[in-house]
Amino acid sequence: MSSTLNFDYDQLLDLTAELGFRLMETGAEIYRVEESVQYILQAYGVTTGEVFAIPNCLIISFTDTTGHAHTRIRRIPAHGTDISLLESLNEFCREITQDPPPLAAALDRLDQIQKRHFVYPLPVMLLADFAGGGAYSMFFGGSLRDALCGGLCGVAIGLCLWLMGGLRANSFVRTLASGAVSALCALLLVQSGLGENLDFIIIGALMILVPGIAFTNAMRDIMSGDLTSGVSKTVEALLIATAIALGTGFVLTLAPAL
Amino acid sequence: MELFTPSYFLPCLYAFVGCVAFAVTFNIHGREIPISALGGAVGWLVYLLAAPWIPGEIVRYFLASLALSVYCEVMARLRKCPATSYLLISIFPLVPGAGIYYTMEHAIHGETALFISRGMHTLGLAGALALGILLVSSVMRMWTVFRRRTHHFPPFRRS
Repeated sequence: MSSTLNFDYDQLLDLTAELGFRLMETGAEIYRVEESVQYILQAYGVTTGEVFAIPNCLIISFTDTTGHAHTRIRRIPAHGTDISLLESLNEFCREITQDPPPLAAALDRLDQIQKRHFVYPLPVMLLADFAGGGAYSMFFGGSLRDALCGGLCGVAIGLCLWLMGGLRANSFVRTLASGAVSALCALLLVQSGLGENLDFIIIGALMILVPGIAFTNAMRDIMSGDLTSGVSKTVEALLIATAIALGTGFVLTLAPAL
Repeated sequence: MELFTPSYFLPCLYAFVGCVAFAVTFNIHGREIPISALGGAVGWLVYLLAAPWIPGEIVRYFLASLALSVYCEVMARLRKCPATSYLLISIFPLVPGAGIYYTMEHAIHGETALFISRGMHTLGLAGALALGILLVSSVMRMWTVFRRRTHHFPPFRRS
């Protein structure tokens, strides 16, 4: 591959930067992004490649056979987690490192993955929030009626997250507002006589917001030696946990006063 | 032994249903949904089974996180998927959501001593969870390097 004279290094840079960027956007761990890009560079015969990634930045640089350096920096915006896209990209990466196709074809396939990708519509997400909130209300010891209320609070959180996402609110504000909304809903439901245990309802619904993902990813980054990413993700997880406590706490403190 | 009644294990079922729901919110498709959700049930099952022998909640959390990490790594190898995608979902029942809530509740009521002890306990649970995952995935990574047999032991410098 690399021996052909008119090998387009800029296109290789396009491919690796785009793949790295999309992997980061699905919430992949830092080491996975760095390794994937490194493997693709090696598959196309570039052994002088360097990749550096932290949660919101990706830098790729390599030197071609004429000694010319190619570098690209991508800024990663705030993003969620999309596991099925992560799996498709991972599979794509494994396939092209085993048998590297022409660069244009690889870029085309990358676009196809993005186009064919299926994301659940909002009603399905809200249904999942309902089931999740309800199941965890019972998991923590609530009754069937608590589960119903937990589910309703879960839907409220789902709607709030969707609305705040549309308003481009950052994750701290988004979590704060969702926590407050769920506590408010739980209070109203208990007042109306449908819910029995306020705490089980709120805890069940809050499981949607709890930063388990952020924390797990942070730990995996720290384990693979990416301390910068690990520390910043740990801080993010702690901030989200604080936001949950502040949001629900705010409503629960104000409630007796009303 | 009336300890292990069917209703004692009911939370595993709730955990499974909850994990299925959360798998959907993280956009997991098809057969991966029940596989990743089962990890959550496995973790909680270990937590419940260990109860009569190990009284400490933090140690049981550690055991549960070990079990579910092993499950996820094995599934990842079988299904050729990143282990993270299973781990992210399976971890949910063990995430100390209740701990965060009760810590906050103590803070609201001004019970400083309870607030601190509950907060430390929650951090301990999160730490045990992290340690279990860390341990299993480190061992798995070393095992993969060993299996590839590309290791040539470079000159080692102590830091």
